[in-house]
Formats: sequence, C-alpha cells, structure tokens
Amino acid sequence: MFNYSFRWNQALAALPQMLDGARVTLGIALQSMAIGLVLAVVLTLCRRSGNWFAAAIATGWVEIARNTPGLFQIYMAHFGLGAFGIHLSPFTALLSGIAFNNAGYLAENFRGALTAIPETQTRAARSLGLSGGQTFQLIVLPQMLRIAFLPTTNQMVWAILMTSLGVTVGMNADLAGVTQELNARSFRTFEFFAIAAVIYYLITKAVTLAARLVAWRLFIY
Amino acid sequence: MRSGSLIPTLLATALLVIPAQADKIDDIIASGKLRCAVVLDFKPMGSRDAQNKPFGFDVDYCNDLAKALGVKAEIVETPFPERIPALMSGRVDLGVASTSDTLERARTVGMSIPYFAFEMVVATNGKAGISSFETLKGKTVGAPAGTYEAIALEKQVKAWGVGEFRPYQTQADVYLALSQGQIDATVSPATSVQATIQSGKFPGITLAGKAPFDIDYVSLFASREEYGLINFLNLFINQQVRTGRYAELYKKWVGGEAPNLLVPGVYR
Amino acid sequence: MPTTALTLADLAFLAQGAGLTLAITAVAVACGTVLGILCGILRVQFGPFWTAPLTFLLDVFRSVPLLIRLVLANAAQSIAKLGWGPFTTSCIVLSLYTAAYCTEIVRGAIVAVPQPLRRASRSLGLSWRQDMTFVVAPLATRVALPSWIGLTLGVMKDSALVLWLGLIELLRASQILVTRLQEPLLILMICGGIYFLLSFPIARLGGLLEKRWSPR
Repeated sequence: MFNYSFRWNQALAALPQMLDGARVTLGIALQSMAIGLVLAVVLTLCRRSGNWFAAAIATGWVEIARNTPGLFQIYMAHFGLGAFGIHLSPFTALLSGIAFNNAGYLAENFRGALTAIPETQTRAARSLGLSGGQTFQLIVLPQMLRIAFLPTTNQMVWAILMTSLGVTVGMNADLAGVTQELNARSFRTFEFFAIAAVIYYLITKAVTLAARLVAWRLFIY
Repeated sequence: MRSGSLIPTLLATALLVIPAQADKIDDIIASGKLRCAVVLDFKPMGSRDAQNKPFGFDVDYCNDLAKALGVKAEIVETPFPERIPALMSGRVDLGVASTSDTLERARTVGMSIPYFAFEMVVATNGKAGISSFETLKGKTVGAPAGTYEAIALEKQVKAWGVGEFRPYQTQADVYLALSQGQIDATVSPATSVQATIQSGKFPGITLAGKAPFDIDYVSLFASREEYGLINFLNLFINQQVRTGRYAELYKKWVGGEAPNLLVPGVYR
Repeated sequence: MPTTALTLADLAFLAQGAGLTLAITAVAVACGTVLGILCGILRVQFGPFWTAPLTFLLDVFRSVPLLIRLVLANAAQSIAKLGWGPFTTSCIVLSLYTAAYCTEIVRGAIVAVPQPLRRASRSLGLSWRQDMTFVVAPLATRVALPSWIGLTLGVMKDSALVLWLGLIELLRASQILVTRLQEPLLILMICGGIYFLLSFPIARLGGLLEKRWSPR
C-alpha cells in the first residue's frame, strides 16, 4: 500500500485544457519546422556558395545549434537576448529557439543528403542550358529533400519534444506549460504528467504516421 | 519505472506485515537529522551566499526546528515544483519552503498553522508608467507559477480581459524578466521585493504600492497522515512567536515589524 | 562588459556543475549502452513479432519529452517510496533514454553485417557466440560508433533537463550565478562555451570516424 491515492477523475477533468495545450504544442512544432526548413535551405546554400563569410556564419550556426542543449538555446532566446533589450515573448522565444535548433540539424542532414546526389547531374543540367539557380531549384533541391525526408521527420519529432522546454521561459499555453501549472496548483504530479506523457506519445505517433503516408504518396516511383 | 512497479508493491506488502509503531518524530530523532525542503532562490526566505552556501529565514527556521527536536538540520534544496515529490519520496521529512496554505494543496499534503505571512505588493521596472495595482490593466505581468500571487494575478488579468500573464518557474526568473523589461510588473511578497531592491543588483526595480490581495499565509508542510509531527510543528511555531525568536528572525532577514500570524475572527 | 563580479569561486562552482553533467552523462551512457546492446541483440535474434512489447516500450521512451518523463519518474518513485535521490532518478531515466536509441543503433549495425558472411562463419564451425564476438562485433562496431558518439553527445546536452529535479548541473549552476550576480549574458555565454568545448571536439572525432570508416 502506497499512502498515495490516485485521483484520476480530478486530473481527467482537466483533459480539455490539456488537449488545448496539445494543439498549441503541435502548432509551435509545425511552425518551427516550417521556419527551420527554410533557414536550413538558406544555410545549405550559404555553405555551398563559396562566399567565405556566408559559409563561416552558416557553419557557426550549425555547430552552435548542434553542440549546445536545446534548453540553453531557448533560455538564451528569452533571457540572453533580453539583456540586449530584445524582448521576445515566451511564445516567440520558444519558437525561435526551436527553429534555430531545427535549422542547424536540418542543414547538417541536407549536407549529408547532398553528398548522395552525383555531381555529374549538376554538370549535365548546366550543359543543357539551365542556370545555376535553376539547377539547384529543379534538380538538386527536390532530390535533397527526398533523401533527407526521413531524418526530417525525426527532427519533427524532436521539435515536438522540445516544445516542452517552453515552461522554463514562462510559456503556459502549450501542453507542458498547462500540465506544469495544473501540477503547481494541486500537487497531483503523477496524474497530470502521466496524462501529458500519453498525449505526447499520441501526437508523435500521429505525426510519424502522417509523414509515412505523405512519403508513400510523394515518393512512389 | 513501469516494469519496476511490481517490486515496490511486494516490498510494501512485506513492510505491512511488520507492525509500524514509530511515527515520523521517532524516525527523525532516531536518525539524528532533520531534512528540510527549502527553496533557495527566494530571498530573503532562502538563497545562497557568496560561497554559494544556503542561508535565509527558512534556513534559520529549519535549524531552530532541528534544535527543538535535538537533531542536526540538513537543508535539501528543492525548486518550487520539486517540494512535494521530495516529501512524498521520503527525501525530506518536512518542508520549510514558504508554501501557501491553499485548500487545493491541503488535499494532498498536511499543513501546519501559518509560520509566516506575506503582504503582496506591486513591483515594477519603472518603464511602463505603473504607479498602482489598477494601472496594471493591459500590461504584461508575471509571477512564479502556481504560487498564491500567480493564481490571484492571473485571475485578475483574465477578469480585465486585456494584458498578458506569464508564469515563470522561479522567483529569480521573474525578477530577471522584470529587470530586462520582458514583463512590466509583478506582484510579489513585500519582503521579497524589499530584499531584491536592497541587493542593489536590480537598479530599475521599484515598489508601486500594495496589491489588493488577501494576506498570503504560508505553512510548514509534512505528510498528511503524520498528525504527531504536524502537532509538533504547530506548537513549535507557537513557541517561536512566544519566545520572540520569530520577531528576531524577522528583524534579521527582513527588518521592521513582524507580521501578525493571527487571522482575525476565526479559530484555526 | 568591462567589469564583472564573477569570482574564481564562481567559476569553480560552474566547473562543479559541469562535473555533475559529465558524471550523469557517463553513468547514463554506460548503463544505457549495455542495455541497448542487450535489447538490440534480442530484437535481431527473436524478430519483430516476439520483441514487439520491448519495441513499444523503447518507442515510448523516444516519443515522450524527457522533461515529462523525468518529472513522471520522480513522482512515481516518490509514490512507491523508493527513496531515490534526484541523481539516481535522473541516471535511471537517462539510461533508459540512451538504451532506447542505442537499441536501434545496435540493431541497425548488426543487420548491416552481410548475412552471407555470418553464414560462412557458422559453416566454418564457429558457435553463435564466437560468430557474434569475432565476426559481428568488430564489423558492427564500425557501423555503430559514429551514431553512438552522436547519441552520447545528445545525452550530454539533454542532461541539462535534470535541473528540474533540483540537481545543480552546468545550466542550473549558471542560473544560480545569474540570480546572484545579475550578469545573464556573460554567464550564459560562459555556460554555452563550456557545453561547446565539451561537445565539439567529440563531435568532430565522430565525423572523422564516420568519414574514415564509411564503406566506399
């Protein structure tokens, strides 16, 4: 006998609130992925551009994103930038922290994917009269995205998991924030966090499944 | 933790067979030390000195309590959200952690009579033109998540319908956000705001009058079924006031007249 | 920042935090790797059907945020009155986390060893154990090592979350100093710098090994 009686009804009563939080979580993850993907393509272009300065900045970005904790990056986006007088709301800080992280990891994935695309294709495209931009856009980019699709879905899962770190910068609308607030009020830690864990699991499974379906539709040939 | 749930069940069943007669007070005296959960980023109740060692009102209070029990005190640092899990797991014997005695929490843990009372005031960084509680309307405010003042403040922001409320995980993060201008104001215990202003580390932060919230009475907490211990705690708090030690500690850490711990017009 | 109140004692405090980060990482990676190798071999040996419950469990460890799992595990151990300190709880949660990823790495590495090679070794009279130790292990290690290094670094970065349970690791140590000294930017920069210094050289080593050992 543990002298702890579980009060699931009390926790389940807060389920609608937590599901609202789950929607916010998914929204942040999707937005951060969209921003991250665009940034990653830009970073990849910078690293390939041959421009010394752009390449250095892109490499710095990727290495910092990959070599410091996500929690640190989000904390820095809120309190670190705050010291410069740049004030990001908890939502923006969380979003930009995750997008920064996503961009770094995705750029590295793209770099790996690019090595799998033979250089001869670019040369062939150029000799057919395509410009450099057209070659990248029409020949290289689609293949790169296809090869990097699986790692990208993994990153999407990471993004969902990372949203839980928003509580450290005053985020209270996402699933972890809602859960933590309910917990701080009632001290029913186990019940609330167990429900949150189940919801997170379902979200990540749904996203992975959706990605598989998309991949199946897109890459059928 | 999933697969491990069977073994503790068996263990607990085995323990049930042995009649347990010693209560928590016996356990504490037998072990020779009292383990208190204390929050150490909440000046002047608990913080760290230049050697990063714990000190503050709650730390002294725990030391006094240990002396009263004839044992040695052990300060276990717990962030605000960690106080109760620490108690539940038996990592601490009780909490001297400025815990507001809300009814919602009393459903889970046992609360003593109040050992301290906070008066709530508005603190601002002087940039947003806030001069009183009423001028907070429409501004961005923050407070430590789940605390008494956070719940009251969030309710007020919702009632106003404009502005934004942000819960932070520690009091320190709230003051950091305030001094950086991330939030325009906070509602905090007067003692905490005074200590923060006195520290001189936050040049911008100023007092902007009282907040119209009820006085926030805080209690020591222990396991809900440890009546013997809770009784002892109640008497201990009574003695602290009676002997003047409460006033002395208040003067040492806060300064001025110690707040009255009696709620007028009702028994506890 | 022209002047700073940061003293040598404070830097030592940060170093202590970094030490705890490293200690937790070391324990978690060591336990997690052993568990991961075990689970990985089980998964290959018994096929996906019989190990489905194991796969599901490990999948849960990869699909729920570490923060949620840490708090949940801590609450669970407190309810069960196991009396684990935050360090033990953190190490166990992080070990399972490591094991979940390590299993996949090990499985992938074992599968990557060509089947004909293994059949050949068995037909030469090697026992299963000999086949595993002398043929599979050396080849699989080459495949697995770069990802394993990546995993180790991931665990080190994610170990920052144990601050939630009150452990003073590197990030929490910096937060404490920020609270006391009010120089967020400088202290956070130092903190990030330490993480970078711990992580970057090993990441580079992993990249190098990957380049050198990858089949051409």
